[in-house]
Amino acid sequence: MEYFEPKSIGDALSLLSKHSAEAKVIAGGTDVMVDIKFKEEPGALVNIKKIPSLSGVSESGGAIRIGALTTIREIETSSLIREKLPVLWEASHQFASLQVRNTATIGGNICRASPSGETLTPLLVLDAKAVMAFSDGERIEPFTSFFQGPGKSSVGAKGLLTEIEIPIPAAGSKGVYLKHAVRGAMDIAMVGVAVLLTPDAGKNNVQEVRIGLGAVAPTPIRAPKTEALLRGKPLTAALVKQAGALAASESSPISDQRSSAENRRWIVEALTRRGLEQTWKAATGKEVV
Amino acid sequence: MSVTITTTINGQSVSASAEASTSLLEFLRDTLEMKGSKLCCNTGECGACTVIYNGKPINSCVTLAADASGAQITTIEGLADGEKLHPVQQAFIDTGAVQCGYCTPGYIMSVKALLDRTTKPTAADIEEAVSGNICRCTGYNKIVDAIQLAADRIAGRA
Repeated sequence: MEYFEPKSIGDALSLLSKHSAEAKVIAGGTDVMVDIKFKEEPGALVNIKKIPSLSGVSESGGAIRIGALTTIREIETSSLIREKLPVLWEASHQFASLQVRNTATIGGNICRASPSGETLTPLLVLDAKAVMAFSDGERIEPFTSFFQGPGKSSVGAKGLLTEIEIPIPAAGSKGVYLKHAVRGAMDIAMVGVAVLLTPDAGKNNVQEVRIGLGAVAPTPIRAPKTEALLRGKPLTAALVKQAGALAASESSPISDQRSSAENRRWIVEALTRRGLEQTWKAATGKEVV
Repeated sequence: MSVTITTTINGQSVSASAEASTSLLEFLRDTLEMKGSKLCCNTGECGACTVIYNGKPINSCVTLAADASGAQITTIEGLADGEKLHPVQQAFIDTGAVQCGYCTPGYIMSVKALLDRTTKPTAADIEEAVSGNICRCTGYNKIVDAIQLAADRIAGRA
């Protein structure tokens, strides 16, 4: 196995162009090292950890920017994230274990493109975008179209995810990330649901709502029909019930060692209802009735 | 392809060569013959291989050894001062928190990292600090007792 430690984005891109068929990018290593030990070594390993300026959380132009090499623990302990993007904070806080959070990077979690990736449904409901570098220039793409299948994303074999751009949600909006797993720590989610809800000025109707579903389709997905059903309406118990069932029908889970598909649909329904009730209460001060 | 790794382990500068795919755990155990950090799941799930990397607990099995270059690593071998055990090690003995002992080095490193951050950990701090460590003998209550005792001793409360 060849091994490289590029010191710049340009150097990394040249290496990926040259070795794309056999190269693998490594950052924190918490997923890639397992592949190396249990599957096979790639022909070339490109360690991007030595590239400066790909790490850190900052705010500019109404958006939070997170460098791709920022660790999950750095996100979890960032006061900016806790204050401005609590839904991402929650997902980071529930991410694996402290040991893993200290090394795993948000860029790695994204590029792994696992349907159950903990940070992915929050990024979907936050309308976040991927900033990617390619040898012919930079490309920015919303995460709603970024994920193409398990392990497949717009970054491909020759690109590099450099930054995550997250618009700060509208004032008055509330978000929640709910994870269903057997064991609190470490477990991969059976289902993860993120909800971001903004009430109208009078706090009577849902002005905007976004629902992200994890581990129930080949990629993390939004639930567009459910969102459309809810927009512009007062959030009643009957509507919440209808929304839960519709969200379950928008998912397409598989059965695996963690859960049956049927059970996953039930959990989508339950967590969607719970997420709507919790965000509505947090945003309006009112219970759903 | 082989890489040369120059790092600081338990305060001592170390330089050795290893295959580029070597994990930090393999580097410690196989290259440097430091067998205190344990190989168990090798997937970053059980915490038996926990070491402290620049002040933070990490799973050495899923860390590239090359990433140790220029870093400060503390392993279980670096805790005792000669014959005198570190307060966390002593507390694990005194509360009976060790059964088969295989998970113990990893636990002790997670706890040391916690008590380096605070000597007044809350129940939630303790739970978070060791949530990535598994004890298959299921002695969790005594481990929590040990952590509390070590914290009290380090802070001079016991």
